[in-house]
Amino acid sequence: MAGQEGACVTKRLQNELLQLLCSTTRSISAFPEDDNDLTYWTGYVTGPQGTPYSDLKFKISLNFPESYPFHPPKVKFVSPMWHPNVDMSGNICLDILKEKWSAVYNVETILLSLQSLLGEPNNRSPLNAVAAELWDRDMEEYKKKVLACYEEIEDC
Amino acid sequence: MDHQITTASDFRSTSIPNLYQLDTLLRCHICKDFLKIPVLTPCGHTFCSLCIREHLNNQPNCPLCLFEFRESLLRSEFLVNEVIQSYTSIRPTLIDALKIQKPIADEDKMPKPQDSSLIELISESENDDSNTADDDLQIVSTSERKPAKRSMTDILPLSSKPSKRTFTMFRSERIKKKPKSNEQMAQCPICQQFYPLKALEKTHLDECLTLQSLGKKSKPPKNFNADLKSQDKETSRPKSKTPETDENFRDEVSHVDKYLNSMAKSEYQRLPKINFTSMNLSQIKQKLMSLGLSTSGTRQNFIKRYNHYEMLWNSNFCDSLEPVDESELKRQLLSWDVSHNKPPQNTNNNGGISKLMMMKSSGKSSSYRKLLENFKNDKFNRKGWIVMFQKDFSRLIKEAKLKIKTSSPKTSDLTEQIHEEVHEGKMQGVQVTDEQQMEEGQEIILSEKQEVNEKTFQMKI
Repeated sequence: MAGQEGACVTKRLQNELLQLLCSTTRSISAFPEDDNDLTYWTGYVTGPQGTPYSDLKFKISLNFPESYPFHPPKVKFVSPMWHPNVDMSGNICLDILKEKWSAVYNVETILLSLQSLLGEPNNRSPLNAVAAELWDRDMEEYKKKVLACYEEIEDC
Repeated sequence: MDHQITTASDFRSTSIPNLYQLDTLLRCHICKDFLKIPVLTPCGHTFCSLCIREHLNNQPNCPLCLFEFRESLLRSEFLVNEVIQSYTSIRPTLIDALKIQKPIADEDKMPKPQDSSLIELISESENDDSNTADDDLQIVSTSERKPAKRSMTDILPLSSKPSKRTFTMFRSERIKKKPKSNEQMAQCPICQQFYPLKALEKTHLDECLTLQSLGKKSKPPKNFNADLKSQDKETSRPKSKTPETDENFRDEVSHVDKYLNSMAKSEYQRLPKINFTSMNLSQIKQKLMSLGLSTSGTRQNFIKRYNHYEMLWNSNFCDSLEPVDESELKRQLLSWDVSHNKPPQNTNNNGGISKLMMMKSSGKSSSYRKLLENFKNDKFNRKGWIVMFQKDFSRLIKEAKLKIKTSSPKTSDLTEQIHEEVHEGKMQGVQVTDEQQMEEGQEIILSEKQEVNEKTFQMKI
């Protein structure tokens, strides 16, 4: 029972899935892409109110390594994203997904952190310097950029 | 212990949704399952022994509060261990018993409720018929689920009117430690009798369950034997201390006894952490050999293997109350080894066809994948590929021939299709020139293919 890491990953992910399905937080959701492979998930995050991203819905991919939860999953934005801490191919610069990862985090906490990252970018280490600069200078313009970049998700 | 996936939210649909919290607290925050061999960190958090040790191998801090500490400071928590074991053993029945079900209206057996909250609810809904009062009660108790669902800690309902009533209900349930003689009646799912809810939960269910299980078969609790053994060994306590009459509570007593008898085992020494950087290969090998571990693989494999074994060992002999023996640990290590330290792949070149044949008989799909890995570079094993799909090739050619013979105006399409099929069967879009490079044993196939090609060509013209 113990020591089987592979089994441990799937068991934990099943548990998380069950918990997410029971949770009623509307603004985030996630589900495995394929019934047979629990290590690839697709998540959706809605931008928080009062931010340039409010009411926009973004698609996210989560890829869990064998060593999850001891190592963080690889998380990327699938939807195009204009944000100081997200680069053009969707890679995210977020400490809890890198060196600050802790085994107690789960899919729900990841999605919630991403959601709050949307409203509170970390402009000190931007991946998208233009966005970081614009965020500080001109919010109106920033919002226009976000909307120009945004693509509606059809399949959900 | 429990192979089914359960979550704390199972309790949300019961009459005591607050048990959600208890259920959550008894889980490890790393694996999200019930704590197995719980250990306490110096910062006061509790995790499964294996989970936290595995975590500490990656980073030396508490995953909850990031307090830094070393693995040797972990302490086993015997009490929590027994609490969880006893809890998980009754959990399914507990959920069943607390499931909200429509109370069967049987007024004669039911003493009239005299108590505050219930009466309030009933009077609010301006009903004098106690039959509909039952219904009302039902509505309230189901609507209670919704607010509880909102978030993990927030069980306070919304301020809308119906939930205000829920709130009263909720409160009355929460404060029901106060001795109130009359309250909600509930049916026992086992004996079908009605009891006051409080009595049902507190005592009756346990009694009823043990009675029932005794009626069927007096099964000894899981760890009873081990328990007796350790009693014999460690204490002078006579076995007959547990009287026959106590049988109803046997399971309970077993966990209590186990806790009282638990003590750290010191027969085995803990395995130390080893700094491998200063050791050479043969030293590491010797270390593994002295522990009776396999010495196959690379240096990296050795180190990983030792670290994993050290983790299993220390968790087993330092933390667990019921340690398994070394051979079982080695078995666990082996199964871990199989899934983690895969032998390096050298399928190509010298390995040749014989190896491939072996792979083919063992499992085509895996070897297929291995071959496909090198498909695009020059390491690609042509012979292996041909051998592997020989059957398919000849079958396809046969089919193609047949179809050509019985050709009709449609043949061009058909042969085209077959042609493609042959290609796909071989190697997803490899060029014909590539195929022609394949020698030996393929000549016939090739010539036949050319025939097909020619025919197709003619047809097209």
